[in-house]
Amino acid sequence: MARSNRLARRDEMISRTTANPEIRELAQRLLTHEATANDPSEVTMLPVMRVSEKLRRALSTLAGSSGFRSLLTRALSLAKVEVPALSAVQIKPDGSLEGLNLLADQHHSAEAGVILIAKLLGLLIVFIGQSLTLKFVRDVWPDFPVADTEPLEKNDHERAR
Amino acid sequence: MSARDKVKIHKLPTGVPGLDDILGGGFPEYSFNIIAGAPGCGKTTMAHQFVFANATPERPALYFTILGEPALKMLRYQQQYTFFDLSKLNSSFRFINLSEVLENRGLVGILEEITKEVEAANPSIIVVDSFRTVVRHVQENEVQVQAFVQNLGLLLTSWEATTFLIGEYVESELRDNPVFTVADGLIWLYQTVERNSVVRKLQIMKLRGQASVPGMHTFRITDGGLQAFSRTLGLSTRKQRKPDAKRLSMGIPELDEMLGGGIPAGDSLLIAGSSGTGKSLLATQFISAGIRAGQPGIVAVFEERPEEYAARADSFGLDLHTPIKDGHLKVIYLRPLDLSVDETMQEILDAIKAMGAKRLVIDSLAGFEMALAPGFRTDFRESLYRMIFSLTGIGVTILSTVEIEESFTELLFSTYSISFLTDDIIRLRYAEIEGQLRKLLMVVKMRGGPHSTDIRDYEITSKGLVLGERLTGYEHLITGLPSRVQRPVLKKRSTVHSSRRADR
Repeated sequence: MARSNRLARRDEMISRTTANPEIRELAQRLLTHEATANDPSEVTMLPVMRVSEKLRRALSTLAGSSGFRSLLTRALSLAKVEVPALSAVQIKPDGSLEGLNLLADQHHSAEAGVILIAKLLGLLIVFIGQSLTLKFVRDVWPDFPVADTEPLEKNDHERAR
Repeated sequence: MSARDKVKIHKLPTGVPGLDDILGGGFPEYSFNIIAGAPGCGKTTMAHQFVFANATPERPALYFTILGEPALKMLRYQQQYTFFDLSKLNSSFRFINLSEVLENRGLVGILEEITKEVEAANPSIIVVDSFRTVVRHVQENEVQVQAFVQNLGLLLTSWEATTFLIGEYVESELRDNPVFTVADGLIWLYQTVERNSVVRKLQIMKLRGQASVPGMHTFRITDGGLQAFSRTLGLSTRKQRKPDAKRLSMGIPELDEMLGGGIPAGDSLLIAGSSGTGKSLLATQFISAGIRAGQPGIVAVFEERPEEYAARADSFGLDLHTPIKDGHLKVIYLRPLDLSVDETMQEILDAIKAMGAKRLVIDSLAGFEMALAPGFRTDFRESLYRMIFSLTGIGVTILSTVEIEESFTELLFSTYSISFLTDDIIRLRYAEIEGQLRKLLMVVKMRGGPHSTDIRDYEITSKGLVLGERLTGYEHLITGLPSRVQRPVLKKRSTVHSSRRADR
């Protein structure tokens, strides 16, 4: 009982952080950035898959494929609560995404992508903090504008003001 | 071979306060080192401190994690330390996780991957954490492990990089594990729980090419990471005693006379007496006299807080608040119960250097001992010896107080048998004289020369400790239960120095 309460509290905390509109906005901007990128090798990939793939490459070096895979699995699990259609999405053993292109509605697909990436970034912020997370984002997308002080970790009190 | 012909080995700062002194200047450049110890004793933190202190974009570091702490967790916790510099991550050093390489390709794969990354990045610093888990993972094949260790050692030593393997070892592995033979440096971290205290120590078991300080050194893990405390703090030589050393006043002219003109500068003086005899007061008068003479002082207290100490001095007309405010006096209250002598010494030494202090009071040795973690109490005498030796070596005059149980059959100097550590001893004691509990003072030992052999009574007044006359007409005063001398009293001149005297 105590354990389930503890887990519920943790989920609530993660959910609060990952539902942060600033993180969603960052995820949205990343997807837009990737959508306009002109890398011929990635032209057939959905923006969400490109973002996820670039984060996978960077984070797998740091945390190993299995480390990244567990993060993405958790992010997907949290995202499914908001977008049940993401149940069709699978994560391959190497941490890459599969099945996103099967989502029928294009609008829903884009929204699902934003939520999934927001959850992934939110998890990273929970574990290693905003500064390091933004540093990784800058390292992966050197030409993507993201400020050092971008306030992604506002607490409830700050947000209420 | 002349010094000019020898290869110069540069020493790299460890980033761990105190550890450079212990190592003899830092880690030798291009050395191949092992940081060993049980889980949780600070191995990874030590490696991070070194990396953050030395890695630059021009001299980058590679940090390989294998089966130990996951890198994300490592980052989560290591960034809490003040040395963690976010800007260095990925620009000056990079984490590389090799757990899957080990799973899929084994030791050969690990070696290939490290080689590939090292060749690509050309790092100046390489850390493999946790190396022990690699070896344990494949321990069924001893030949394979030995080959791996040899090859890794050769790769790392020939790469012009300073390298570290971090591993969870037990000391029994020292004898037959080839990796210890290959390594240039071996640092062992220990963490033991003794009663309710955690005691952390480190030992340089091996360091090629330079003289490290032998023995166990305590360390602490703080917000700033590891801080090590050398057993000697680099203060290993005591100054030669000068017969004409400057004499320091105790703040009581009559007592200075008994001491032959005061305490020789750089001496260690022990004030021994039972509870209520005025040891702390004498110490306060000593420190106040120093401040009046322009000699900054430090008081290390263990049994009361600095404000209480200063307030008590007020009641004897001794103003400690002003010199504290002016920076001429520092009262150090040392956090009780889990200290090591080396930490205490470091704190005192830092204060001495900062203030240019000439006088130090340790009030009291019993309190000091109680403030130590239980494991350090067993070495108290030895530690105290090192401390007194080191501090007097830099010219500080130390006054320590020690409470001893009063005996009415003999004259004890100290329950610690530490009188050999001190140059001078003053003994305070009670005696029953004609229906009164009187206080007696005697100078028992002065290594620096002659001193008074008088036994004098004294009183504690609002002006401090006031010495009375030499007590004559009694025998067995030192037992505390004197009796009147029945035969005619032979008045002998006081040996040094008591100018005022009167028979009673």
